[in-house]
Amino acid sequence: MDWDKIVQLLVNGMTLGSVYALVALGFSMIYGILKLLNLAHGDVLMVGAFIGWGIISWLGGAQDPSVAVWLLIVLMLLGAMVGCGFLGVAIERFAYRPLRRAPRIAPLISALGVSFFLQNSVLLLFGADYRSYETFDLVDVEVGISWGPLNIWIIRIVVIASAFAMMAGLWLLVTRTKLGKAMRATAFDREAAAMMGIDVDRVIVKTFFIGSALAGAAGILVGLVFGSINHFMGFSYGLKGFTAAVVGGIGSIPGAMFGGLFIGLSEAFSVGYIEDLTRGRLGSAFSDLVVFLILIVFMIVRPQGIFGKPEVKKV
Amino acid sequence: MSKGLIAASLGLLAAAVLVTSALARSEAAATPAQIAACTNVSLGFVGPLTGPVAFLGQEQISWLRFGVQKYNKANKTRFKVAGGDTQLKAPVARTVARRFVADRKIMAIIGPSESQAVRVGGNLYEKAGLAAISGSATATDLTKGRPYTTFFRVVPNDAIQGPQVVAFVAGNLGAKNVVVIDSQDDYSIPLASGISRGLRARNVTVSRESVSVDDTDFSSIVANVGNNVNVVVFATQNATSANTLSNQLREQGKKAIVFGTDGAYSPAQFKPRNGYVSVFAPDLHFDRKARALIREYNRYSKNRTFGSFGPATYMAGLAAMNAIARACADGTATRSEVTRLVRSTNIPSIFGGTLRFSKKGDPLPTKFVLYKITNGTYSPVG
Repeated sequence: MDWDKIVQLLVNGMTLGSVYALVALGFSMIYGILKLLNLAHGDVLMVGAFIGWGIISWLGGAQDPSVAVWLLIVLMLLGAMVGCGFLGVAIERFAYRPLRRAPRIAPLISALGVSFFLQNSVLLLFGADYRSYETFDLVDVEVGISWGPLNIWIIRIVVIASAFAMMAGLWLLVTRTKLGKAMRATAFDREAAAMMGIDVDRVIVKTFFIGSALAGAAGILVGLVFGSINHFMGFSYGLKGFTAAVVGGIGSIPGAMFGGLFIGLSEAFSVGYIEDLTRGRLGSAFSDLVVFLILIVFMIVRPQGIFGKPEVKKV
Repeated sequence: MSKGLIAASLGLLAAAVLVTSALARSEAAATPAQIAACTNVSLGFVGPLTGPVAFLGQEQISWLRFGVQKYNKANKTRFKVAGGDTQLKAPVARTVARRFVADRKIMAIIGPSESQAVRVGGNLYEKAGLAAISGSATATDLTKGRPYTTFFRVVPNDAIQGPQVVAFVAGNLGAKNVVVIDSQDDYSIPLASGISRGLRARNVTVSRESVSVDDTDFSSIVANVGNNVNVVVFATQNATSANTLSNQLREQGKKAIVFGTDGAYSPAQFKPRNGYVSVFAPDLHFDRKARALIREYNRYSKNRTFGSFGPATYMAGLAAMNAIARACADGTATRSEVTRLVRSTNIPSIFGGTLRFSKKGDPLPTKFVLYKITNGTYSPVG
């Protein structure tokens, strides 16, 4: 057993999983409240990544930033979260709210339209080139924890820690605050919540703000840890985030967290071991096969996901 | 339904079929030997202007436009450039090829930039008698056996790159254990396979890995790279990916260095602490004789960072314009005439010597250039 490799894959999987979990949380929150698959969610992540790139470039670039590195990262996170939060609110207001009473296929198509609109807007504004955060210049990759087989770059630690902090913050918000209670009530029964005096529209807007802010933060974390961003990156992260949400149980917050980490670790370990397990028949290129196979298996065997509850309909 | 309505519908259908077939026939008949008025001629650029390797296409079209402007000024011609974006996708490249074949003003294709775009468009250009001169398509099979008789390239092919990389990695670097990574496309898979075969033939232990062209995280691939691996050869068209890979190797404490193939050549994007890269044409920045040309280009373009992709495409443009100008000596020209004259190209090259084509359409004589990268700074090897 190659423990060095296992530990390293664990770290890689946790990093990827943290990002997927943040995306899955947004998917789950919005689905929980509106029963809508926000297919543009991955593209909100992409916009967040570009906001971060704008901030890092504006503050002198990675090679010579005009502020301390920690402050730069905080500013990038804040900028992307606020920017994407408002973007989410705008998407809800103009693309989904007018279709709230339409058949369920209509907002789904609208979501696809928003996705293409965001991709092409960023293409128009920033061009098609891959943009680099140049994080490797900002913080050298050798700075971090190096203990036995364990090598963790400090930026990975920042990414995993911030993702967990945000997940914990969201958990507290949903379980301990008035807004969280209103969100849970709206998700349970929108009409009954309205009759109880909850301003459902406001709750929906706030849910979109929070979900999109988390996607924006995920965009920054991707840019920081992997260096490069592009205008179509949202598709892949959106798809994997959605898979994570389904595996965890769409609509469930702990489910989204678990699903994200599960998919991240599955991806990392399949890259690491798929060749050995299939005796060379399949290579690392097939890691996505494993991820989406998990999705298919869950859709067939346990469609409600690990933390979800089966939907019971009164007849 | 009334009989009249059925008859009318059938009549309309028949008319539509007749019109469509007539249009198709007129397009087919018009394409093989179009006669162009030499006062309104365009070069059709076919390359990835958007998508994951947009930097490559943008650099190429910028140098092509620069070359056209310079040529027009010197020769009082009025060549224009029409851009065709392949997005690095073969089906899109075929659509672009159809569009350019049908455009009467286009007398030569500059590109396609990518080998897969040649494979899907090469026969269309051939049927139309349209010369396609690529500044970067290096796959060996594009000229082996001459599958596309109107295809030419100004850069050497992978049959030269592969053995050169093998000789350098096994010989000069003395590597005993190598990982070869492809990026799951028509360019990198044959190249990576050829390099792997060559290295194994020299008793080097080789492991193969594969990543998607859109991937930005290679940390789990890096976990598969053993501590005894000396070199990771990365056949990629994406220089930022090569940069991320080299940094993630260092992050995980791996001693292996990255050797990037020609797609990774970008001093602005691929900046490892230690590494190598091969490229099909010398970087003009290292050539004193090219300083005036670089200054002129920098005045022309806002994008001052360039590698070898742009200048090679500049040469492809010059070859095309030279052939069209010769064909136009009597005031008119056909595409076939231009193609015939491209074959006999013999013009001074900005890389030194002259540009000539072999019977297969490859440049004569030529080889890949290797660069060593130390702390992000490039220097020619040998």
